[in-house]
Amino acid sequence: MSAPVSLLRLLPATFALSAALFAVSVHANDLDEVNQLLKAGKQAQALAKVEQSLTAKPRDPQLRFLKGVIQTELGKPQDAIGTFTKLTEEYPELPEPYNNLAVLHASGGQFDKARAALEMAIRTNPSYSTAHENLGDIYANLASQAYSKALQLGGSSSTLQPKLTLIRELFTPGSKGTNVNTTKPVATAPVAPTVVAPVAPTATAPIVKPAVTVPVATAPTTPVAPALPAVAAASDKDIEQAVQAWAKAWSSKDMNAYLASYAKNFDTPKNLPRKTWEDERRDRIMGKSRISVKVSDITTKLNGNTATVKFRQTYDADALSTSSRKTLELTKVGDRWLIAKETTGG
Amino acid sequence: MNRLMNCFRNSLTLNSFAIALLAGSVLCFAALFTPTAWAQSSKISILNSGKNKNIAQRKVDLQAEAKLLRIYQLIGKGQNRQALAESELLLKAQPNFQLAQLVHGDLLSSFVRPVNGLGDLPKSTQLAVTATAASPTNSPTAAATLNELREESLQRLKALRERPPANALPAQFLALSDKNKHAIAVDASRSRLYLFENGASGVKLVADYYISIGKLGVEKTLEGDQRTPLGVYYITGSLNPTSLVDFYGVGALPINYPNPLDLKRGKTGSGIWLHGTPSEQFSRAPKASDGCVVLANPDLNHILTSVRSRTTPVVIADRLNWVSKASLETDKANFNNTLVAWRQAKVQADTAKMMAFYTSDFSNYGKNLTQWASIISNELKNIKGRDIALTNINMMRWSDQNDTMVVTFDEVIVGKQTGVTKRQYWIRDGKAWKIFFEGVI
Repeated sequence: MSAPVSLLRLLPATFALSAALFAVSVHANDLDEVNQLLKAGKQAQALAKVEQSLTAKPRDPQLRFLKGVIQTELGKPQDAIGTFTKLTEEYPELPEPYNNLAVLHASGGQFDKARAALEMAIRTNPSYSTAHENLGDIYANLASQAYSKALQLGGSSSTLQPKLTLIRELFTPGSKGTNVNTTKPVATAPVAPTVVAPVAPTATAPIVKPAVTVPVATAPTTPVAPALPAVAAASDKDIEQAVQAWAKAWSSKDMNAYLASYAKNFDTPKNLPRKTWEDERRDRIMGKSRISVKVSDITTKLNGNTATVKFRQTYDADALSTSSRKTLELTKVGDRWLIAKETTGG
Repeated sequence: MNRLMNCFRNSLTLNSFAIALLAGSVLCFAALFTPTAWAQSSKISILNSGKNKNIAQRKVDLQAEAKLLRIYQLIGKGQNRQALAESELLLKAQPNFQLAQLVHGDLLSSFVRPVNGLGDLPKSTQLAVTATAASPTNSPTAAATLNELREESLQRLKALRERPPANALPAQFLALSDKNKHAIAVDASRSRLYLFENGASGVKLVADYYISIGKLGVEKTLEGDQRTPLGVYYITGSLNPTSLVDFYGVGALPINYPNPLDLKRGKTGSGIWLHGTPSEQFSRAPKASDGCVVLANPDLNHILTSVRSRTTPVVIADRLNWVSKASLETDKANFNNTLVAWRQAKVQADTAKMMAFYTSDFSNYGKNLTQWASIISNELKNIKGRDIALTNINMMRWSDQNDTMVVTFDEVIVGKQTGVTKRQYWIRDGKAWKIFFEGVI
């Protein structure tokens, strides 16, 4: 994960599946409809729609993946486990189903199974950051269990449930369609470097596009508050510009502009001293040969001189590519909006 | 990305973990150990112990501890991934091996944060530790448990690193008889029980196990003092496991505490056993019992199936003194002269000469010297000057503030088919050895 923030992320309560990320056009209509249903909180109907689409394309990994996600949302972990397990069997080259399988096992307290699944996800895609983070959480949890047993603290109830990230989108390379049609996943040689394809730069190409459509996507949310004063509307725009400028500074590795996006009282992760944090960021960012940070699906909540901005961050650097929900808390300092807090997740 | 960075950091922190493990040992052994030397010395000990025909059996017995040691060695070499895989296997077989769980926790943690030494709990767990420790009354706090596990680790390493010298036996083992197929010696300072086999090729060490002793250490004196007695004892029986509560594990072998020397010294208490561990604990802390010697169930099981009660001596020493077999032969020959003199006095039916062998505070299961004199007198009449043979002689020497000898033998009047098994406790007064207890066992 690119974010320098807490590695634990809650399973977001707000289920915002971005249909735009499912860039393969064949599904676009189906997925759009499912997404609409999900946005309306109609999970059951969304599931029905997915099932219906699956009758036409029974092996489609994206639909099946989505089905697993909705089953998870509907509180049907066993069904979801079944769905994801079958996906791992038929598409062993995809890390996402393993990851979600791990999330489900972990929430059922089966950390060893979760660990095995995550290790498979990482074997499939060594630079898969979500799986790395989730595995870190699992290690910490298993360690805590082992310590409890060692000290006979009795009842592993004291161990916290790890908050793992459920992947909601299946990243597929542009060529995925052919893979699906061959029905011979073995042919994709899971161990071969080509496996990295799901996160390879080409894969992100379709993802970049939706960013352009962002203003359109967010447009409907703004009119919901009809009588907003003009000032607020202007602020929204300023805030959005500030976020885009931050992403741009990051992408262009402009450290001065990047660090200047953060307020003096920025809540550094793990309460690191500001200087340490800055050095860390500098190392991380300057250490990359290429970074692309795109922001999409922006929603802004204004509250006087502070604002909460939620969006989807598509990060793509060297061999690593992720898409995640991010929340920035901004404060207005003079006429500038600066970041006071940065968190990953819903 | 953070995680990827962590992976690199791990390779560094693993070493500090290994070093910290070693540092802990150095404190106790006052010896210099580099990871390599540590690994080598441990390896040597394993090789030494395997050089006998009981190697297969021994492998089974030492499985858990040997596996733990191998995990330590892997950590020492920075191979935490492999160590983790092995600790997982070990815990699959022995999920209640708390020390292994602790190491396992450290290994898992080492992939997400630096681990600085055995049982490096994260802060959150430490908080949980204090919180949980507050609730159950009368149970040791988790912090204390952590210290005990560290202590157990040190004791196990110590015993595996500091091996008994080759061809040496505990100084107490003056002579084992043909009836003593096995002998046991406990070194309390090392939390270790050594099992010897007495076969055609002599007495040899065949296995050794980690053990727990009394909460307050050794030198039991009074009932309820939570100490383990020191001295020469014998296994008196084997308690039926089905009659035992889970706490004692797979079985129990009572020993004859208080023995005649203990009684002479006014020691009290009873029910000192060698026993196993409860099902929820693979092993217990080095100092955990009320005076019993506690072994892990697989280890006790081996003793239960191979060792005979009533004939197996159990020496419990604070610190065993290992001496060469040759020097034991000399001591044995010297004391044998005394025993021969006693036998001759008996054959000669010389009551006065005979009684000179017994101390004024002599006892025979409660009978005093005067009562004993009449028993002896009757016995001598019965022998009627016939020769007697002493066979299957077992001599165990116990030296503390007194020099004592425990002698067990079969006494047969020559020409008779059967005899009796007798045990004598001798004490040295200047150059003279005198008997302060004698009785048929």
